[in-house]
Amino acid sequence: MSTAYSAVGWNRQKKIYDGWIAAFCITYLALFISLTLLFNSEATFETILIRSTSTLAVLLLHIILSIGPLTRLNKKFMPLLYNRRHLGVTMFSFAAVHGIFSIIQFHSLSNTNPFLSLFLSNTNYGSVPAFPFQTLGFIALIIFFLMAITSHDFWLHNLSPIVWKTLHMFVYAAYILVVMHVMLGVIQYEKNPAFVLILFTGSASLIILHLLAGQKERKIDKMKFKLKEDGFVYVCEADEIEDSRAKIFCIDQERIAVYRHENKLYAIHNVCKHQGGPLGEGKIVDGCITCPWHGYQYLPQNGQSPPPFKEKVSTYDVLVNNNKVWLNPTAYAEGTERKGASL
Amino acid sequence: MIISVILIIALIYLLIGVLFVPFFYIKGIRHIDETVKGSSIGFYIIISPGVIVFWPVLLRKWRKALKEQAYE
Ligand code: HEM
Ligand code: FES
Repeated sequence: MSTAYSAVGWNRQKKIYDGWIAAFCITYLALFISLTLLFNSEATFETILIRSTSTLAVLLLHIILSIGPLTRLNKKFMPLLYNRRHLGVTMFSFAAVHGIFSIIQFHSLSNTNPFLSLFLSNTNYGSVPAFPFQTLGFIALIIFFLMAITSHDFWLHNLSPIVWKTLHMFVYAAYILVVMHVMLGVIQYEKNPAFVLILFTGSASLIILHLLAGQKERKIDKMKFKLKEDGFVYVCEADEIEDSRAKIFCIDQERIAVYRHENKLYAIHNVCKHQGGPLGEGKIVDGCITCPWHGYQYLPQNGQSPPPFKEKVSTYDVLVNNNKVWLNPTAYAEGTERKGASL
Repeated sequence: MIISVILIIALIYLLIGVLFVPFFYIKGIRHIDETVKGSSIGFYIIISPGVIVFWPVLLRKWRKALKEQAYE
């Protein structure tokens, strides 16, 4: 939604967000390093570097993967979603430091090519305790790399949304690879049960969060709309919708967001033109419906992005009668002006 | 042995990508995406790793765009 691409497109909010990421990472690394020096004074610089960056990357990965379901469950987490891609690139950077230093530490001393050594120094693929867990980490790192280098909007437009989305769904495959990398790696020789416990807790909470969010979503989709009149469907009471916010209704497989703005109700398609963000989970900022994912904006009365932008979404008719909200799920062409329903 | 062959192929593929970058930035990119007009140098730097990896996709889009222009 920009007239020309910029490298990062920072604004005040994103700067604050990135400030928090930096503060979090620095605090974590400082804590990890001082605790290691305190309790394990034999640890070498390389070991500390390899371990602090790897654990930080895994921690960030858990945060990244829980943001989606958390925001579905509670709007308070919305600020985390905005600019999630910077979290992703940060995670990749730490994972890359871990991977590169591991290769230097464990594979660059012999005279074989370090990459060959990574794959060939251990070929016990049939064994659990001696499994070549590093190749798993390597494949995960490649996936994170591909995601990081395609995180700019340019790629969303030019790789086609399907390719892009598929690529980014691989994050779950990468997550499983990372879990296996740790399970078959350190956990095989580290006697401390803390590793297993932390990783298990992390995975379990991610799975539970995804299940809970999925259930909530299904509930919304399954909601039956019984009262129908002239194509209009009764959806809710008018005062259930907060000012400058929306409620999302799924009628005939279409998700529609009904927004309340300056004592009127407007309905638009729930799917953002940028990356399919849920418009109904955002709010109205400066008179525009603002997508919670990356802040694309649309005018409530016609679903158009304010000029000079060109994005448009479909609009719908809403009626209010005796405080009852009626919605017509037949979409108007994208960007069609609707006058909304007065309250 | 197989791993060496894969590594060499990957290396050649990426080298072609590196050579592709200047041609793409000078001629191709504006055919496939109008939004790049007036973009900063930082933008070109930040997308370049992706151009090196995904050059076949961009090349195909570039050729398609040229064909469409020829029709018009
Ligand atoms: C080229 C890719 C990678 C290589 C060569 C690699 C190598 C290694 C090695 C050798 C260890 C054991 C270190 C030790 O015993 O101190 C390790 C552990 C670990 N790796 Fe990786 N790794 C790679 C990618 C990744 C990625 C992408 C992640 C996660 C984002 C990751 C997360 C971890 C974690 C959490 C541990 C256990 C803590 C530690 O000992 O550092 N690794 N890795
Ligand atoms: S702004 Fe990115 S999905 Fe809506």
